[in-house]
Amino acid sequence: MNCEKIRERTADYLAGELDEESLAGMRAHLAECPHCREELEGLSVIWTKLGVLPNEEPSAALRSRFYGMLEAYKKGLKKEGEGQGAKRALSIWLGRLMPRKPAFQLGLALILMAAGLGSGFLLSVRPRSAARAEMASLRGEMDGMRRIVAISLLKQASPSDRLMGVSWSVRIDRPGDEIIAALLQTLNHDPNVNVRLAAADALYLFYDHPEVKKGLIDSLAGQTSPLVQVSLISLLVEIRERRAVEALERLIQNEKLNPKVKKLAELGLVQLS
Amino acid sequence: MKTIIRLAGIMILLWAAGTAGSPQESQADHAVVNFSDPAKPGTVEVNISEGSITVRGFEGKDVIIDARWREKVLTKEEQEGEADLAEAEEELDQEEMARKKAQAEKAKGMKMLEVESMGLTIEEEENVIQVNAEEGKRAVDLLIQVPFSTSLRLSCHDDERGVTVEGVSGEIEVETSDGPIVLTNVSGPVVADSSDGEIKAVFGKVTPGKPMSFSAMDGDIDITLPLDVKASLKMKTDEGQIFTDFDVRLTPSQQKKEEDERKEGGGYRVAFEKVTLGLINGGGVEIQLTTYEGNIYVRKAK
Repeated sequence: MNCEKIRERTADYLAGELDEESLAGMRAHLAECPHCREELEGLSVIWTKLGVLPNEEPSAALRSRFYGMLEAYKKGLKKEGEGQGAKRALSIWLGRLMPRKPAFQLGLALILMAAGLGSGFLLSVRPRSAARAEMASLRGEMDGMRRIVAISLLKQASPSDRLMGVSWSVRIDRPGDEIIAALLQTLNHDPNVNVRLAAADALYLFYDHPEVKKGLIDSLAGQTSPLVQVSLISLLVEIRERRAVEALERLIQNEKLNPKVKKLAELGLVQLS
Repeated sequence: MKTIIRLAGIMILLWAAGTAGSPQESQADHAVVNFSDPAKPGTVEVNISEGSITVRGFEGKDVIIDARWREKVLTKEEQEGEADLAEAEEELDQEEMARKKAQAEKAKGMKMLEVESMGLTIEEEENVIQVNAEEGKRAVDLLIQVPFSTSLRLSCHDDERGVTVEGVSGEIEVETSDGPIVLTNVSGPVVADSSDGEIKAVFGKVTPGKPMSFSAMDGDIDITLPLDVKASLKMKTDEGQIFTDFDVRLTPSQQKKEEDERKEGGGYRVAFEKVTLGLINGGGVEIQLTTYEGNIYVRKAK
């Protein structure tokens, strides 16, 4: 059973209306797919909360009152004869339907509101979960598509295309290892300084990914462009990456290092330690 | 199809021993190269270590290359190197000294022929013309005329004169270490980098949907865009300033990082990247401008 089928059957599962075979298939899938599990958990919480809401039933008093009012209305109708306008009759009918005491009026209003909310909730739960599933799968598809586009653009001969590849990779919600690896590869080996700069900026946005911080630190030693060095130093200081201290110290010892980069690296060392 | 033209493989210059310092006429090379498929826009790739590159678009199908070899000028490093060598000579042992003396005796009354090797290699393969100058002692000034739609990949190091491009509508990738980059009447996506030089680019029009990027360590970046350009600028300068006469709508930087470690006993902080995002005419083609010390100028075409 795939994720899509699972989503279709979620409502039946929650209502306990699945046959044995589907139930087994569903359980097997849930055991493997953390994503569906998460979604189902969310949904079952809502489902249980809905179950707790009491069903609205009119009280016996309301019933007798209603019939009483109806009787009185019929009598009144006979008494007042045919001269009464239909409009007026209706307004009287409705007025009598209303409990006389303000406390009862408020009570009735609250009950009606609760019933409205409850039924609205019940009615909307299916489309809402379907819409959510649709959104989630759409987002997943978009991410997958962006990944493919980004990776293929990063391999192009034109630097402008590779820049576009970097832009695409930034738009991915969950970049995944593949994109991170491709961006690090670009940062370290792209022949163009501008593309390497863009890759550094992009990686900064994904710095909570475990590979990124290490990748940025390791990259520092191999960079020859002063601008890329400056950019990396700023990023490492920005994310207060203390492990970068060693790399900065090594960089400062390089005799060929641009004096401005050296100054910035020294400043960075002070800020980090 | 592959054409290889070797030019000026070896040139011999006669130098009178006594007039070594007098100015010498520089040598010029000329070559016309055609693309294997002239119907499609080709690419010209130039890679020289010392010298300058000038490329001009023209109404033609071929690529015309003129190379002018500059008078040899010793760089500071080379001068130091020669001084070191002279110093070392003083320490030569007696035997070596005697041999040198004997050699000098033999050459008495004669002129020395200085043999200077210069090489320019031009190759064409699959619509890509590659021009490489052999790494020699002399700098070369290249003037290259190309069909308008040609794409360029230019790289020029260790020279003050840098790269100049005029009237080329293809994609341009250019890098210099010392010299400036000056692009006039270009339209293709430009990706330019200069370590010590400045970058100036005047666009006749801008190819939509193709990102561009300019970066310089020390120099200014000065770009001129058409009035109606739709562009999204991403500007970053550490020590310089940004100037423009466009109506640029600044948008908050997206590169925001939030850290909340208060639960773990740490602190809370929000960091913003020093990138300024600006939209011209609602935004469009991505243009990244990065400089460390220089200023950024974004001008309206007059």
